[in-house]
Amino acid sequence: MADKVIFAMYDDDDKLMDGAKHLVANKVKVSDVYSPMPLHGIDSIIGVEPTRLAITAFMYGLTGTMLAIIGIRYMMIIDWPMNIGGKPNFSLKENMLSFVPIFFEFTVLCAAHGMAITYLIRNKTLPGMPPRNPDPRTTDDKFVMEIKTSDNAHVSEKDLSKLIKDTGFIEIEEKSIL
Amino acid sequence: MNYKISDKAKKVTLGVAIVGLVLLVIGFFQQKEFVYANKIDDHSVEIKYNGHADQDAQNALKESITSKLTGYDIEIHDANHGHNEHATNDDSHGHHGPTFLWNIHFKHAENHSSLIGSHESGADILIDKVNNGEISFFDNGFRRFWSNLLVNGFFFFGIALGALFYLALHYATESGWGVVLLRIFEGIMSAMPIGIGVLLVVFLAGSFGAHHIYPWMDSDLLDPNSSHFDPIIYGKKAYLNLPFFWIRVVAYFTTFYLFLKWFKKKSKEQDEIGGTESHFKMYRRGALFLVFFAVFSSTMSWDFIMSIDTHWFSTLFGWYVFSGIWLSGMIMVMMITLYLRKGGFLPNVNESHIHDVGKWMFALSFLWSYLWFSQFMLIWYSNIPEEVIYFTERIENYKLLFFGTFIVNFFFPMVFFMSRDTKRSAGFLIVIGLIIFIGHWFDVFNMVMPGTLFDQWEIGLLEIGMFLMFLGVFVYTVLNAISKSPLLQKNHPFLEESKHHEY
Repeated sequence: MADKVIFAMYDDDDKLMDGAKHLVANKVKVSDVYSPMPLHGIDSIIGVEPTRLAITAFMYGLTGTMLAIIGIRYMMIIDWPMNIGGKPNFSLKENMLSFVPIFFEFTVLCAAHGMAITYLIRNKTLPGMPPRNPDPRTTDDKFVMEIKTSDNAHVSEKDLSKLIKDTGFIEIEEKSIL
Repeated sequence: MNYKISDKAKKVTLGVAIVGLVLLVIGFFQQKEFVYANKIDDHSVEIKYNGHADQDAQNALKESITSKLTGYDIEIHDANHGHNEHATNDDSHGHHGPTFLWNIHFKHAENHSSLIGSHESGADILIDKVNNGEISFFDNGFRRFWSNLLVNGFFFFGIALGALFYLALHYATESGWGVVLLRIFEGIMSAMPIGIGVLLVVFLAGSFGAHHIYPWMDSDLLDPNSSHFDPIIYGKKAYLNLPFFWIRVVAYFTTFYLFLKWFKKKSKEQDEIGGTESHFKMYRRGALFLVFFAVFSSTMSWDFIMSIDTHWFSTLFGWYVFSGIWLSGMIMVMMITLYLRKGGFLPNVNESHIHDVGKWMFALSFLWSYLWFSQFMLIWYSNIPEEVIYFTERIENYKLLFFGTFIVNFFFPMVFFMSRDTKRSAGFLIVIGLIIFIGHWFDVFNMVMPGTLFDQWEIGLLEIGMFLMFLGVFVYTVLNAISKSPLLQKNHPFLEESKHHEY
């Protein structure tokens, strides 16, 4: 059976929020929302799971720290011990403190880039990828709510369209996905 | 809603203070000052003492050494004699050299020990007796007492000042979120007179020569004809001299105190008459306070703390001390807020307010760690003798405390306050908050003690007792001050915003 997607468009974020609350209260699953700006609290209304981006940030940061330690150990201790200001240059442990800024910078570099790239991949918004938003106006001043019929098999089509009608959209569009 | 200090809170805070006082008294009479002994060889020992000892006390010590080493034929030489030039050069931390330095020689010591069948030489026995405190001084200079008074006075003064600073910042930036907490800030800053009083006592005693925490107060060091003449301190006397010091001290304390009084008066006035007039007055006065504070917080930390190690200086020191002050103030705000909220006195304080104060604790811990590490690493790395002596002393004699303080104050907040949920959980906030609160007390300890007690510090009953006493009295004063006015500034123009604060 072909899956249908319903896009309901709103001209006000409060209307969308109230509509989403109304739908969720009637056990309709809203799969996504497109908005030109962040809508605080929408994720908990439509039941988006908390992002795991922070966990990836930690992992990228840890990777960065490790790489920095390994790299500096090779460059500054093993391959060519550098004597800077008479600091001990033969052991990483004793010279650790002078490398802390580098560890820090590299950690931040890896965490930030890793996070940004993960975010783009996860959202399928890497440069050159086809746009996912249903209507270019959602980058301007309109808000769109996306509802999939396959998510809402427990609600009859009639009830669903009635519930959506109650939310006060300004435009509605249906698309079939194969 | 009005808060009235409960009998239980009274009993607990004053009880802690009394327990502290008892411990303090016991610790005070228990304290001995250790004399330091270095072995030169089996026949000779070097005895060193850094504190305050007049000729009579020195003779008494010599007698005690002779009487406790019966059977040995010993000879005591004054090794300091004629080495004054050496002593001042060697002594780059800005203090006198050792008060005395003796060489003790054992005549025929080996014969003797073989006679009595001991494997130890006389030198070893003497060192044992010195190390276990059998041969020691009673501290007639009270330097441990005075140093502790300075540590606690400054720490608790700093908490009150941190609260006052944040209050002024809140007004100057016209923030809305914290309005429901402002009375707590007011309560904490009301305890400032405790710190001011104690610090004044310490400075007065120093000015009259009762202690030698501040070496530059000693006129001997500034006299070119004296054998103790210190050219570096002499070069700083345009700034570090008693009259100018007292002018500054009076300026700091009166400025802070007058602003404190004024803010409290205006906020009471606002409760009565309402409107925005007093708000805008406080807004302007808050900005003015920040101007004063920007200068005074730096110079104050130079005067009170940095000048203990008179030869040493660090341009970052003021910021470093300030970040510690601000953070300790915020922890205190958090503790009092959680306490009052648990009692149901703060119906308008929601999770988001707690979360925000938690964020401040988290962020300020990073500010403090950043400044601590910047100061440490640059000096450690460049390794300039006159600068690095400050850290050499701390690493040699306070290693665990010095690095431990940093690790606790950095890693605990980082690991435990990173997550959003822990910043909203009272349990986490109280446990981690208390740990870093004590950590920052040790930070002040680390700033003061190495310059006053050198390697002779101790965490004993005296230290613990005095901390508890100050803590009890401080918290009692804060709760008492909070009971005196309603817990809500009911006419603050941003009150509604604060009530609905989210995130």
